[in-house]
Amino acid sequence: MTMLNRKLRRDLWRLRTQAVAIAAVMAAGVATLVLGMGAYQSLEETRAAYYDRQAFADIFASVRRAPERLRDEIAAIDGVAAVETRIVDGAVLDIEGMMEPASARLVSLPDDGVALLNRVYVRQGRTPDPERPDEVVVSEAFAVAHGLEPGARLAAIIGGKRRTLQIVGTALSPEFIYAVAPGALVPDDRRFAVVWMSRRALAAAFDQDGAFSEVSVKLLANARASAVVEALDDILAGYGGLGAFERKDQQSHAFLDSELQQQRAMSMILPPIFLIVAAFLVNMTLSRLVALEREQVGLLKALGYGAYEVGWHYLKFALAIALTGAAAGLALGLWLGHGLADLYSRFFHFPFLIFHIDASVFAGAVLVSLFAALAGASLSVRAVVRLPAAVAMQAPVPPGYRRFAAVGAGRLSQSTVMIVRHIVRWPARSAFTVIGIAMSVAVLVAALFSQDAIERMIDLTFYRADRQDATIGFSVERPLATLADIARLPGVMAAEPVRAVAVRLSLGPASRRIGLMGRPQESDLSQLVDSDDRALRLPETGLVLTDMLAGILDAEVGDTVTVEPLEGRRRAREVPVTAIVQNYVGLGAYMEIAAVNRLMGEGLQMTAANIKLDPSAAAGFYGAVKVMPAVSSVGLQSVALQTLRKTMAENILLMTGVFTVLAMIIAVGVAYNSARIQLSERARELVSLRVLGFTKDEVSWILLAELGLLTLAALPLGCVLGYGLALAMTEGFKTELFRVPLVIERSTYAWSALAAAASAIGSAFLVKRRLDSLDLVAVLKSRE
Amino acid sequence: MQRETVISIEGLTKIYRSGDVEVHALRGVDLSIGAGEFLVLLGPSGSGKSTLVNIVGGLDKPTSGRVIFKDHNLTALDETSMTRFRRDHVGFVFQFYNLVPSLTAWENVALITEIARNPMSPSAALELAGLPAARHDHFPAQLSGGEQQRVAIARAIAKRPEILLCDEPTGALDSATGIRVLEALAKVNVEIGATTLVITHNAAIGAMADRVIYFADGHVSRIVANDVRQPASSMRW
Repeated sequence: MTMLNRKLRRDLWRLRTQAVAIAAVMAAGVATLVLGMGAYQSLEETRAAYYDRQAFADIFASVRRAPERLRDEIAAIDGVAAVETRIVDGAVLDIEGMMEPASARLVSLPDDGVALLNRVYVRQGRTPDPERPDEVVVSEAFAVAHGLEPGARLAAIIGGKRRTLQIVGTALSPEFIYAVAPGALVPDDRRFAVVWMSRRALAAAFDQDGAFSEVSVKLLANARASAVVEALDDILAGYGGLGAFERKDQQSHAFLDSELQQQRAMSMILPPIFLIVAAFLVNMTLSRLVALEREQVGLLKALGYGAYEVGWHYLKFALAIALTGAAAGLALGLWLGHGLADLYSRFFHFPFLIFHIDASVFAGAVLVSLFAALAGASLSVRAVVRLPAAVAMQAPVPPGYRRFAAVGAGRLSQSTVMIVRHIVRWPARSAFTVIGIAMSVAVLVAALFSQDAIERMIDLTFYRADRQDATIGFSVERPLATLADIARLPGVMAAEPVRAVAVRLSLGPASRRIGLMGRPQESDLSQLVDSDDRALRLPETGLVLTDMLAGILDAEVGDTVTVEPLEGRRRAREVPVTAIVQNYVGLGAYMEIAAVNRLMGEGLQMTAANIKLDPSAAAGFYGAVKVMPAVSSVGLQSVALQTLRKTMAENILLMTGVFTVLAMIIAVGVAYNSARIQLSERARELVSLRVLGFTKDEVSWILLAELGLLTLAALPLGCVLGYGLALAMTEGFKTELFRVPLVIERSTYAWSALAAAASAIGSAFLVKRRLDSLDLVAVLKSRE
Repeated sequence: MQRETVISIEGLTKIYRSGDVEVHALRGVDLSIGAGEFLVLLGPSGSGKSTLVNIVGGLDKPTSGRVIFKDHNLTALDETSMTRFRRDHVGFVFQFYNLVPSLTAWENVALITEIARNPMSPSAALELAGLPAARHDHFPAQLSGGEQQRVAIARAIAKRPEILLCDEPTGALDSATGIRVLEALAKVNVEIGATTLVITHNAAIGAMADRVIYFADGHVSRIVANDVRQPASSMRW
């Protein structure tokens, strides 16, 4: 080892606490980068491989009842590579030991061999024997949630008839990686199942002999998806087609997309913050080291070392810290990544999920941390290279201080004057300390506000908008008179009808396929909420859009939107937009139920009912619903809310915990380094004061009050930055599926400020201990 | 003239340990110092002068022996009481001034008058130490070495200390400036009556002392009393 490297090693060891603090900030940046990019890549690649292996379709269309012969017609559409027809419907499950009913999506499997598209991935057992109509395969997550194994039995109400199904296998499917019941927000494996049955059995149950109710299409490589969608719509129009849609609108796929988008947004927003802070810390620390070693720089040059050799020596100090940080960050990122993969495997149903990170991500992470170190070190190293040896050997010019009119003129004590002048004397460092601590507050705000956002989402969704206790969905329209039957069910205190129709809304060049919801004008259970959180009465004839949908269509109140039903007679109408309402999940369009029925040119029909329940009679209600004909799904708001809270508690708590720790690393890194550098610069001055009779506490006050003042200035700034960061995150996370409301409670600001302040105080105490233990005599003897 | 004894040093030893090496900085020093006395401590580097002064000033503790200041046994004081003792009774002047760079001359003195019990005004202290009023508002970086040392002296005397300890106060100054600093010290010694100990390598300075204490190898090797103190202005080196 050369002598310079030996010096480097000893310098690093001597400044190890500061070096570790900087490396930790760097590690946090690298870890968030590896975590974000790793999660993104793992999820995307796993999904792509899974889709490929199971032949996940590109285009989907539901239809009321289409004859099987259309299959050839669809296959003949330009650009279509493969076609698979299926029968898909809903059912209610009656599970032993579970009072409330569960919902199931019934999906047919071809009777003659393996499916062309959307192949199931059998995990246990086998596929059903077409000769045995009661044999089924159930989704693995549901089976696990109830401890069901092949051989177990399952009671279901299918097409109005109660049947006992025989489970012969469990499976996963690329269509249900993210599997949620109709109308639910998060997966509930206990209450939602995908049930695969033989085509023959389902055809018999739903009167679909020689017909299909769903078609999937695989496209050729160069096909134009929109053209195929159009052609498909034309073919299915006469058979009750509900409108074809592309993969991007497939529910499971869209949820995954939304998660991918979030991960990408996170890896764009967070790592730069950490790396910028780290660069500043390198700059602060290295410029102090260079200042302290000014004479050594001169000496080395005088001894014949080249300017660049000496510069390289100091640069290596920064690079060593960066490499340590990058290594720790990679390890931390991998560890966290495995935690995230574990979370994903609970949330998403993949047959395999390997946390895989490209070598390029590792290389990129190392490169950016080296770059951050280089950027931080550049000024100091340049100064080292340029400093002439003769000048370096002389003592530096003492720092000049200036009087400020406002400072020292008043009745401030001399120690206060010292504090203020010192802050003003080093404006860049003071500013950086403020910004650094503010960044940590900001990261905390951005991490903690998700809790507020979810509470806001829950408040709007469950307590203001969808206030019903249960929703019963029917597989086909029912006459409005059915409502009276529902109202008579045990425990039902109120019931309101819903008529959902698949429509295409268009305004100018923009158009969107959506389920238009018809509801009674004086609906009390399920309400629309305007931008001031007031309940909004549906207009008699107009159309109400959610804010996101209005944005997509570029529609404002007063605009006229073309509403084209995708079922029935499909007669398009022009309908004015009369209001825009808030929601955070999905897209929505609403009209008065009678207006929807008029639009359809039908009598009074309903497809679902919202219900207010007497909780004490819930058991009777559940029992009745389980045997009610034509019910295809039962949604329970209270259970949904519980599931949502449980899921969020697990996921958010973990992520918030991680980000809180990372944010505190920033605060400690900044505060500790800032205080240590000050201590190094002022040790002599402070020790003189001790000699003159100042107590330890008085001297610490002079040093630490400065840090305190800077921290105090950083807290409000951090809250403002936090708001900005939260705004960037909500914008980055915004998808058609989910919007995170930008709601930050005061308590969130307070906790963030408190956590950052606590980190700063902790760092201050570490430095105070050093200050207290300084040897008065030794410091005074030393020449700066 | 018989002076009242304010400091008595009895059997003072100090051993520094660094690793396996023991350094005997003081090997049993006995000394009585009278009120208002002006002592010059002479001797080569490492002879124990600074160690003695540091212990008398409450900066350091002896390995054995006692220092009695009036009724206080300094060697028995704890950390807090030592700080208190320095704050109330001791003024220090160092070779490298040790001024606070972010405070002006006047403010550096005010730093002490804010915490002292019966201080003179910063301006009075600066005047006594010989810094022209026009320089009171200058920062240390704007003052010459001699001026900075006068600020340090003013800072040391502003609390009206009973003990004034000066470690090589002229060590960093040229002779003309050094003499002016010494004049200031002599004046202060007379006017506020502080018992003054001046460490120096410069034997010529001994002429202005009441007594010159010679140190060698941790001992007091010789004490020379001057019948007449010479004014600093008469000295040359």
